[in-house]
Amino acid sequence: MSAVDQAERGWPLDTLHSLLALCDHVVIVYFLAINTVYLVLITIALAEIVRGLRRAPFAGHDEAAASPFTPPVSVIMPAYNESAGIIEAVRAMLLLRYPVFEVVVVDDGSTDDTVAALRADFDLAEVEYVVPDDVPVRGRVTSVFLPRGGPVRLVVARKDNGGKADALNAGINLACYPLVCMVDADSILDSQALLAVAKPFGDDPARVVASGGVVGVANGCTVVAGRVVEPHLSKNLLGRVQAVEYLRGFFLGRTGWSKVGGLLIIAGAFGLFRRDAVVAAGGMDPDCIGEDAELVVRLHRHMRDQNRAYRIVFVTEPISWSEAPSKLKVLARQRRRWHRGLTEILRKHRRMIGNPRYGRVGLLALPFYVLFELLAPIVELAGLILVPLGVLLGAVNVDFLWHFLLAAYAYALVVSLLSVAVEEYAYHRFTRWRDIWGALVGVAAENIGYRQLTAWWRLRGMWDALHGAPRVWGAMTRTGFDPPDRAKEGGGDRA
Amino acid sequence: MISEGLVTLAVLSLLAVVIVLSTLIVLIRGVRSHEQRRRERTAEPVRGLLFELLCAEGDEQNRLLERLAAIDRRAWSALEPHVAELLEKVSGGARTALIRLYGLRGATAAAVTDLTRHSAVRRGRAAQVLGRLAHTPAVPTLCRLLDDRDPEVRRAAARALGRCRDPAAVPYLLACLTGPRTVPPGVVTHALSALGPEGMRSVAVGLDHPEHLARAVAVEVLGETGAVSRTAEVVHALRADTHAEVRIRAARALGRLGMPDGLEPLLAAVPPGRPVALRIVAVSALGSLGAVAATPRLAALLDDTDPHVAATAARALLRLGPQGEAALRSAADGSRPDGRAAAHARAALAEAAVGGTRLDVRAEVAL
Repeated sequence: MSAVDQAERGWPLDTLHSLLALCDHVVIVYFLAINTVYLVLITIALAEIVRGLRRAPFAGHDEAAASPFTPPVSVIMPAYNESAGIIEAVRAMLLLRYPVFEVVVVDDGSTDDTVAALRADFDLAEVEYVVPDDVPVRGRVTSVFLPRGGPVRLVVARKDNGGKADALNAGINLACYPLVCMVDADSILDSQALLAVAKPFGDDPARVVASGGVVGVANGCTVVAGRVVEPHLSKNLLGRVQAVEYLRGFFLGRTGWSKVGGLLIIAGAFGLFRRDAVVAAGGMDPDCIGEDAELVVRLHRHMRDQNRAYRIVFVTEPISWSEAPSKLKVLARQRRRWHRGLTEILRKHRRMIGNPRYGRVGLLALPFYVLFELLAPIVELAGLILVPLGVLLGAVNVDFLWHFLLAAYAYALVVSLLSVAVEEYAYHRFTRWRDIWGALVGVAAENIGYRQLTAWWRLRGMWDALHGAPRVWGAMTRTGFDPPDRAKEGGGDRA
Repeated sequence: MISEGLVTLAVLSLLAVVIVLSTLIVLIRGVRSHEQRRRERTAEPVRGLLFELLCAEGDEQNRLLERLAAIDRRAWSALEPHVAELLEKVSGGARTALIRLYGLRGATAAAVTDLTRHSAVRRGRAAQVLGRLAHTPAVPTLCRLLDDRDPEVRRAAARALGRCRDPAAVPYLLACLTGPRTVPPGVVTHALSALGPEGMRSVAVGLDHPEHLARAVAVEVLGETGAVSRTAEVVHALRADTHAEVRIRAARALGRLGMPDGLEPLLAAVPPGRPVALRIVAVSALGSLGAVAATPRLAALLDDTDPHVAATAARALLRLGPQGEAALRSAADGSRPDGRAAAHARAALAEAAVGGTRLDVRAEVAL
């Protein structure tokens, strides 16, 4: 650009020009950085998975299943208006392969007949019960039910509505075993799930305080009696894209973070915790919409503040399945809620960010979440606006832009394809060739529209958190699985 | 500014990687499917022989063993997972035949050799195989593996030693609980419990171990295996040990042993001021003991300030039979029907009425 051109344009336009060019460069660097970080995490995860697979023959799963010294577990299942699927879900939980465990269902003031269905099916009787107050609960436990005859390890409690976190707190108080497993009422667990997720506690009982399991997308799977018997990829493009997203971010990303020692999120759909550690940390925070991740961050904080040696780990075996939204409207609510939760957590624990006192969590994991999760929608949407603007104003060379966009897209493809390749190598859950093609289609489609849409929803979630919008869980419309149908409409509304 | 040429190069490179990865995914799937079919085809003809071997005796068994021992390496590698699976399920003559087959194939000797390999995976797998075969000649080497640099190999060795059931391994198993290279207490406890009555003399020696974790595991094993002849030593551990973890496990062991000698020390462990975990376990053990003499003390604990102690006391009373139940009724209908004791008593009675008593109140007990 000549000095004459600059002089003709005047300084305001010139400054804008420079600013746009700078912003565009920031977007470019950001895009490269976020994919590179994922590439590193996936590489770390791959090494960990290969190591685990080679050692699986002597990992001792069978011994743990038969040992009376395997720590007993209380499975806590909060439920709100889940009458359509609760019976099958509880039955499936009771049939998990584990030496000693109980299932504690906490009905969070459902307005449907969730409790009535449970009473009828499991022949429950209401009993007087003294509920300990180890962690504070807002909604009062109004009744407790036990099965007549006793051999079924099931406790059902009904409480006033107080939200999922509050229901979990009630469940923690009711739990009688040293480990508590928090699951969603619609989680579908593999029969070995508890054994897999409890293994770290047996291997390192002095230090492990929490472990999380892989959550897969159940859309398209064949589910029989509350178990995924034939994992398939969804026929729906949205389901395929989410399956790839879960693979990259939730499976491999968290495996990588676990290895690094910076795991911050254990999905509410399936996580196992030391009860005493959760109680010492104060239980679940009912004021935070992302209560599952918030608990993990708080455990990190509590343990570090107490100068205690501890570990929070992620188990790589595929063990839990959840139905992902199959409609854009439902997906929008979910992503908005997730990002709101993340924003609230990072605000609440902002003193940990960049603080060396919190080790890798403070110096690596939390800054990553701020830069590449919290701020991601802002940068991505800014890029969507500023890059075309830069082209229009001549701040960015069009040829360069096209090449860069292609490179960025290809880089994102590489990262997602690598995730699919790792899954195929390690666990190869999807048995049909058409699932492989479906995954490849999902990989190709993720960055065209889907990512931009989720960025918008996440931005709205962040705004909700910042201006304190009322906390609403929203309805998760479930479409059910291949036969037998588990179709549920409107389940999961939560105050 | 990044040059356009560099970006073009990056695009081309990345597209090449995309093509390679896509091909790799398809290849992984294809090779796996092909390999699986090949293994099934290879194992199919010899699998029948294996099942015949399980039912055969005498000369017929020898003949089948010879045939199976002579199969080629490829067929053996396809068959071996089935043999390993069957070893876990069969006993008696069938199990002996499978162990002989491992020996004839040279798999046992190979596993013994692998115990000293550089690769941790090979050492771990070898320990697993030898444990499955209960190969006692490998016990000294397995004991050395308890100090292996790899934690998973150490755990595999401990499990294998439990399966070998050689009391000679007890001191090593107790020693590996502490130090720079440890084995988790749960794995050691399971291994020691598997030794059976023959190993209990050596386990009881562990009650004098200088490390508290070794004493805790020893006392737990004595309770789990019902070593009633060791009651006095367990009582001593509950009364005199300096570490709470040992006393907690001693209390639990006394409940499992069910001997009257346990009553007094358990009663002495429940008053307020003792660690809560110890009180809960001791109260529960009093219920397991079934000693009606504990009724007044348990009834008094219904009003304990700790809800877990009180709830455990209520459930322990239920296990004492009519006298305990009477004490619960008395507390439920007592002078303070809205008090803590009455609430716990009513809750326990209500649970008993539906037959769904939750006896495992162990929330506060360390793992």
